[in-house]
Amino acid sequence: MRFTLGICLIIGALFSYAAGVDPNNFKTCEQSSFCKRSRKVQSTGSKYAIIPGTLNSYADSLTADLVNKDNHHQFTFKLEALMGNTFRLQIDEKNPLRPRYRVEHALKGKPATTQIRVQESQGVLSITAGNSKAVIHGDPFHIEFYEDDVHVVTVNAKNWLYFEHLRQKAAVQTEGAEGAEAQDANPDAIQPPAETHEDPGAWEENFKSHHDSKPYGPEAVALDFAFPAAEVLFGIPEHADSFVLKSTSGTDPYRLYNLDVFEYVVDSKMALYGSVPVLYGHGSQRTAGVYWQNAAETWVDIHTAETNVVSSLVNFVSGTRKTPPPSAHFMSESGIVDAFIMLGPKPIDVFKQYAGLTGTHELPQLFALAYHQSRWNYNDERDVATVSAKFDEFNMPMDTMWLDIEYTDGKRYFTWDKFKFPDSLAMVKNLTDLGRHLVVIIDPHIKRDNAYFFHNDCTEQGYYIKTRDGNDYEGWCWPGSASYPDFFNPVVREYYASQYELSKFKTVTADVMLWNDMNEPSVFNGPEVTAPKDLVHFGNWEHRDVHNLYGHMHIMGTFAGLLKRDPNQRPFILTRSHFAGSQRYAAIWTGDNLADWAHLQHSIKMCLTEAVAGFSFCGADVGGFFGNPEAELLERWYQTGIFLPFFRAHAHIDTKRREPWLFPERTRQIIRSALLKRYSYLPLWYTSFYELEKTGAPVIRPMLTHYPHDKEAFGIDSQLLVQQRLLVRPVMQQGVSKVDVYFPAIDDKKNGDYWYDVDTFERQERAGYVSVPVTEYKIPVWQRGGSIVPKKERLRRSAPLMLHDPYTLIVCLDRHGKADGTLYLDDEKSYKYRDGEHIYVNYEFEQNQLRNNFIGKPKYKSNAWIERVVIAGLQLVPKSATITVNGVSQQLEVEQQGNAVIVRKPGVKMDVDFALKLNY
Amino acid sequence: MKSTQLALIALIIYALGEVQCGEVPRPRGVSLTKAPLYQPQANGKWTCLDGSKTIPFTHINDEYCDCADGSDEPGTSACAEGKFHCVNKGHQSIDIPSALVQDGVCDCCDGSDELPATGCSNSCQELGAAEAIKRRNEAEVHRRGTEKREELIARGRQLKADRAGRRSELQSHIQEQERLKSEKEQLKKTAEALESEALEVFKEQQRELNENTAQAEEEPQQMRHEATMSFVRYDTNKDGFVEVTELMVDMNLDQDRNGVVTVEEAKYFLDERERVDLDAFVTLAWPRIKPLKMLAEGLFQPPLEAPKPPEQEQTEHDSPSEERGDMAPEGELEDEHDEGEEEEDQYDDEEADVGIGEATPEIETTTTAPNYDPETQRLVEAANEARNAFEEVERQIREIEHEIKEIDEQENKDYGLHEEWAVLDGECYTYEDREYVYTLCPFDRVSQKPRNGGAETTLGRWEQWAGEGEDKYSKQKYTQGAACWNGPNRSAVINIKCALEPKITAVSEPNRCEYYYEFETPAACDSEAFATAAANSAHDEL
Repeated sequence: MRFTLGICLIIGALFSYAAGVDPNNFKTCEQSSFCKRSRKVQSTGSKYAIIPGTLNSYADSLTADLVNKDNHHQFTFKLEALMGNTFRLQIDEKNPLRPRYRVEHALKGKPATTQIRVQESQGVLSITAGNSKAVIHGDPFHIEFYEDDVHVVTVNAKNWLYFEHLRQKAAVQTEGAEGAEAQDANPDAIQPPAETHEDPGAWEENFKSHHDSKPYGPEAVALDFAFPAAEVLFGIPEHADSFVLKSTSGTDPYRLYNLDVFEYVVDSKMALYGSVPVLYGHGSQRTAGVYWQNAAETWVDIHTAETNVVSSLVNFVSGTRKTPPPSAHFMSESGIVDAFIMLGPKPIDVFKQYAGLTGTHELPQLFALAYHQSRWNYNDERDVATVSAKFDEFNMPMDTMWLDIEYTDGKRYFTWDKFKFPDSLAMVKNLTDLGRHLVVIIDPHIKRDNAYFFHNDCTEQGYYIKTRDGNDYEGWCWPGSASYPDFFNPVVREYYASQYELSKFKTVTADVMLWNDMNEPSVFNGPEVTAPKDLVHFGNWEHRDVHNLYGHMHIMGTFAGLLKRDPNQRPFILTRSHFAGSQRYAAIWTGDNLADWAHLQHSIKMCLTEAVAGFSFCGADVGGFFGNPEAELLERWYQTGIFLPFFRAHAHIDTKRREPWLFPERTRQIIRSALLKRYSYLPLWYTSFYELEKTGAPVIRPMLTHYPHDKEAFGIDSQLLVQQRLLVRPVMQQGVSKVDVYFPAIDDKKNGDYWYDVDTFERQERAGYVSVPVTEYKIPVWQRGGSIVPKKERLRRSAPLMLHDPYTLIVCLDRHGKADGTLYLDDEKSYKYRDGEHIYVNYEFEQNQLRNNFIGKPKYKSNAWIERVVIAGLQLVPKSATITVNGVSQQLEVEQQGNAVIVRKPGVKMDVDFALKLNY
Repeated sequence: MKSTQLALIALIIYALGEVQCGEVPRPRGVSLTKAPLYQPQANGKWTCLDGSKTIPFTHINDEYCDCADGSDEPGTSACAEGKFHCVNKGHQSIDIPSALVQDGVCDCCDGSDELPATGCSNSCQELGAAEAIKRRNEAEVHRRGTEKREELIARGRQLKADRAGRRSELQSHIQEQERLKSEKEQLKKTAEALESEALEVFKEQQRELNENTAQAEEEPQQMRHEATMSFVRYDTNKDGFVEVTELMVDMNLDQDRNGVVTVEEAKYFLDERERVDLDAFVTLAWPRIKPLKMLAEGLFQPPLEAPKPPEQEQTEHDSPSEERGDMAPEGELEDEHDEGEEEEDQYDDEEADVGIGEATPEIETTTTAPNYDPETQRLVEAANEARNAFEEVERQIREIEHEIKEIDEQENKDYGLHEEWAVLDGECYTYEDREYVYTLCPFDRVSQKPRNGGAETTLGRWEQWAGEGEDKYSKQKYTQGAACWNGPNRSAVINIKCALEPKITAVSEPNRCEYYYEFETPAACDSEAFATAAANSAHDEL
């Protein structure tokens, strides 16, 4: 969320307000000893081989022992075939000194396996499962993966597998040879590789004033993955960088380590708040992915062919790829190798395969997809009431007011500042009476105050994370001295979850939703502003092993608490820290961005990457968290924000107020019309989220998702698709009168889909770049020809008040005069939809006729009806239309409006079959 | 289908249903005054009020938006920009946006915006009655307040007349003094000519006696050096000028020892200018400041003047938070976070004070006069006397000019159309909340002081009336308060209402460092205007 002075005070560094993050406060690979050691293998290589005769094959998997031929340490590996073109590879030590950490809670459940067929020929093993195949080579150990006989992934292609086995620390330490193991206490242990042997960082590490005691010594794991069928790599959020990953040759690797970064900079490989270790390789013919399941600090080197004129020319002339395929090298500080290899073949397949492993966000309540109004801080009850009333006064819709940390009694969560918020229940009622909601923040740092029940409970019950010597860890955060509950302990999660019960948290209602911030965890005086790695968690695991999962465990507790509080209301939670699988519990935002144009541009890049990594429910602080946006930036930010799934305006406490009415009339109108547009598309967002839950297909998608053959589209991250229906290219530059939009090709002849401007229904028929003029009001968005988009075009104060409002269907025809598209609706709040209380319908337009086809039985009782049907792309203007329901027909007026025709008031309810025919 | 369509039709019928309560039948959501606009033409058609389109009259309120201006759907939510008229019999009629029609929330007090099923109650009678009582009470306050205001007006006019009288008195006085001044100047010149002649002779003798006269020649040089040093220190915003506000931080210049260096006091040192450049500072300002500096030096040593290592001064000036970093002990930190506002204030003050400790030029505190021969001594004394006499006249002129300027400033302050606000100038009002005592001294400044002790922070200085249009005198704006760390200068807006006693009723800080006062005073009472406004709003009532 934010970081003001606190951080400066404690780490003693001075940030100037505009300059942004000081990179010196965060480690480089060189300063992180395991990264340095793992990366060194890139020049030396390693020697791992299958030990002959150790192979065992089972119905769905295969195991064998591996040996490191340099030190003769033994490992076991298991290759398992999973449903959905996916393999899982696990490598662990055969006899580790102590168990090595295996990530829990990230997968949505135990993945279903599938039958394999094993064949051996000339020392090479082939494992076939459906369309996919793994070919295992014994020495040097590597595995090739094929999808329908196309080679898409190689594991350990470059022999960069690196697995530091656990070992005893040398009993005697002499000066100058610190950390060395002259005599290994384990008689079976062989001399460790020289790197570990000599690295002074192997048994302890210092960074700035912080000391990491490293009691278990070196325990890194690293492995490389090549993508022979790919041209670009993407994934591994969270970084403020382009969608397509850049080569890391000559730079630090991309880093995955959940950190609270003050004023992060863009175009950077530095770690941010979340870590999702899933990476995809995409080429014209195949898309594949790797999910590297490891919660420790992880660095990822990216090796992509440097494309320059010479190399492209060589490739062109020779007709082959001369450069090595793109590859990624994952390096983690501890744990085991646990990699899921997803074989696609299409982008949407591989995204769904990943969702099949880690799950999806569940269908949110509708209000959560509407507009959120936040600020650090809305000062008191009157302030909240005034802001809410002002939205009404200016006839602008708004759904949710947010309260940041200042609402609490001295940053003691689950309490209120009684002076500023004497009657929070009345305040909540004033909002909910208008269909609005309140979200309050609950952070994981607990104020160490003997008069605070939560602290006392945690202290007495031993719920806090412990230091090496068994004491409660004390760090520094918003409340001052704070400790951090160990959410890895199920008892602690249970305790924490129970705090949300209305009998305990009496000052809120079941309509008040939650924001979990600072859960990396942020520790102002900790190493790299987070917890020391040698802290001890439940099960005696080190913080080192589980760091990137801390926020995940936090929101798991919150989710359980909200469900417990009201089992029939879908929880809404926003989290900053996240890991693979966190999408099952919470939405995310891109953290503490800046009010500048570059951060606006990165909001799309970052959320696209998050979306393909499971986090469709992503957004950025509209307006920028730090700094004061000028009017034009704020206008453009709203226009962009309405096309990201999570849509919230938020601002730092030191910024000027920026509620829309504080700006001149022009800005106010631009923002209002953007808000109206967002609300009009809520049926599409809602349907998309239902389909995300059903299928795992991301709500927002990069262009390559549906245009996998168009190389020009691979790297485009200034525009996005909403499902396969809208193409959004917001204006994100200052003072421009036109923007370049890329309409992707569907074949080699530069044919594209038809795209209809959603405001004018003007049609784009060719693929390629088009320079589109824009005014200050214009948000360049097109609807794909061939799609039908459901909308609600009536204005209300808040989304829940739109429940009974009628729908508008926008039908945009393709080359063949056809279109189709789904609509999903239900009560927008409860879990009854899981019992089938919903309406899910596919609308199809063909041969001048619109019909509906229900998917499943329409069981939800809705008062809504179809208000109008807008059709774009007809050759002629029809004279009228006829709607037929149950054999009864009725004539409808048709009116031409610009490039579209409007069928006036079909009036049919949503759960009724109908046919609507155009008459000429 | 039949049943579903029936449901829809029922809805439409309700929407079309004409209002029964008025005499004139008209579509739902249309006001009495607009009723004539909703008549079908002979052919059963009707034209949108913006003239954009002609539609069947039956399309009015049929839950479909036909007109661009939304005029065909006054009684439904179909048009995003439409308006619904709440009759609100017994209370005030209002137009509400179509967005509020049939959304399940009762917005009109008569409940007419919702379907009967929503179950809105009609609270117009009670609200109307309550409103009437409130209005009566307000009218009473305005009536009695206006009487008080009349007194304020009378006193204000008297003050204005007094000022005018005093000003012309001063004007004539100054003319006398000017005459006296030229007289004294003449005398001074004569005496000084004699003196300088004698001194030349004396110096010549001295030079012969004492080779070491370089010192004396350096003196002006030394003086300039000192002055320049001071200039640099005072010029905290480094714009090449020393401004009044920059001097106001130096408590040494608080000549009347009332704890505040007023604008007037500061201006004196700047030769009554708003700001001076280096040359002017050296020649005009420094000679006035220096004696006070010397006085301060000799008489007391303010604690802030304790010597500091130069590098620390540097950091303190450039990097506020580093200093805070130095005081990282944990207990204090907690306070800092809890009392964010307060610590910043303290900080501001420190920043503003930076100049003081250092602005201690090394000056020669002992200047021994040379021993003149008796004749020279006499001439020097005569010249001194003439100079003193001349300066005395000059000083008097300055004082008069100053007073005139003060009067002129007051004249420029805009005490309202009838001088009703004049009496407030010079008064101060306070308001206490949980943490602070807030002060408002109208036409001068607003400030804030922590209740548990600590320095006072200026939130703003009088800028202007800030109400819009006819309500000009409903708001005051104070700007150029102490700067916020990393933020703007503090400022305040005073929202003023009529009441019988002057009082601050609330203070808030809606924006970081932008304060908002609610202030009441009889000066804002105007029963006539109130009556007119009440009549206007009552006009809509049924």
